[in-house]
Amino acid sequence: MRPSTRLLPAIEKAAFREGTRVMTPFSIAIGVWGLVTGVAMVNAGLSIPGALLMTFTVFAGSAQLAVLPLLATGTPLLIVWATALLVNLRFVIFSAASRRSFVALPWQQRLIAGYLNGDVGFALFSHRFRGAKEHGTPEQYGFFYGTATLNWLSWQTSSVAGILLGGLAPTDWGLELAAYLALLTVLIPMVRTFPAISGVLVTTVLAIVTVGMPMRLGLLIAVLAGVAVAVTGETLKARRAS
Amino acid sequence: MSDPFHDWPYLLAAIAGLTVVTVTTRSSFFMLPARFNLPPRVERALRYAPACALAAIIAQGVFTTNHHADISWGNDHMWALAAAWLVSLRTKHMVIMMGVGMAVFTALRLWV
Repeated sequence: MRPSTRLLPAIEKAAFREGTRVMTPFSIAIGVWGLVTGVAMVNAGLSIPGALLMTFTVFAGSAQLAVLPLLATGTPLLIVWATALLVNLRFVIFSAASRRSFVALPWQQRLIAGYLNGDVGFALFSHRFRGAKEHGTPEQYGFFYGTATLNWLSWQTSSVAGILLGGLAPTDWGLELAAYLALLTVLIPMVRTFPAISGVLVTTVLAIVTVGMPMRLGLLIAVLAGVAVAVTGETLKARRAS
Repeated sequence: MSDPFHDWPYLLAAIAGLTVVTVTTRSSFFMLPARFNLPPRVERALRYAPACALAAIIAQGVFTTNHHADISWGNDHMWALAAAWLVSLRTKHMVIMMGVGMAVFTALRLWV
């Protein structure tokens, strides 16, 4: 056996089952989200092969929904990628927060585990192993792959269903609105503090005002300004508290 | 203008780059040597960027029409979004928020 070439670490089966069990209630929400994303991709004008390729490679619902309106208008790719990057930056924080459990693995196992480390799985893993003394145990990998496997399955089956059904719905049902509403459900839990609220408000106003700018540059300007305001707000808040 | 979604070189390049974005963000700190850490200032900015990016996409999608601001009585998407936001004050349940938003939009589209 040459462990360094294996794609998955050794896992504990009971923990894998536990992972699938705690993931189960969330798989419904993930299924709805995947369905909406699948329908939105086809509704925006992607062909079925294009949409299938996207769902099986990109595997990031919010980023996929966010770039659809940009792709539909042929926005320059750098802006498309930058937008996806901004939406996905939360994963950088996730990976920094859960790296202790994965850092001892061979690189290909770390790469795959990272790719599968989505929002819900990360939250469940952090909660389950908060305060753990040992990191990188077969129990932790079992739990992680339990949640990740069910997450992947619910996401991909519902996305494919959405892609195949999406073409059947008339465009005046406003299904592109469903995509924006889905993004709103992701956004709202992120906006609870004063700095976050001020940043999001500034971004919203600037995004509306700059929508006519070439190459959708207004999008990036609005986000950068919003982040600057939020960070400044947090600094001021911290200064006042101390 | 040709349809960008059927411009395969554009689309394939877009998807390849988006996949790279997913992998590099999700696996970022799993791949970096342990001596690299997230400085608090950077983490702070990273924490707010996704919310701002989502807000910008939603704002341009819902509050604009044909590259112009559109905050008017006739903007059905805007009222649907407002309804979904009001629902979120009571429940964060995704299906309920989306259901109410779509119901408001459909009602406005059919009867107003």
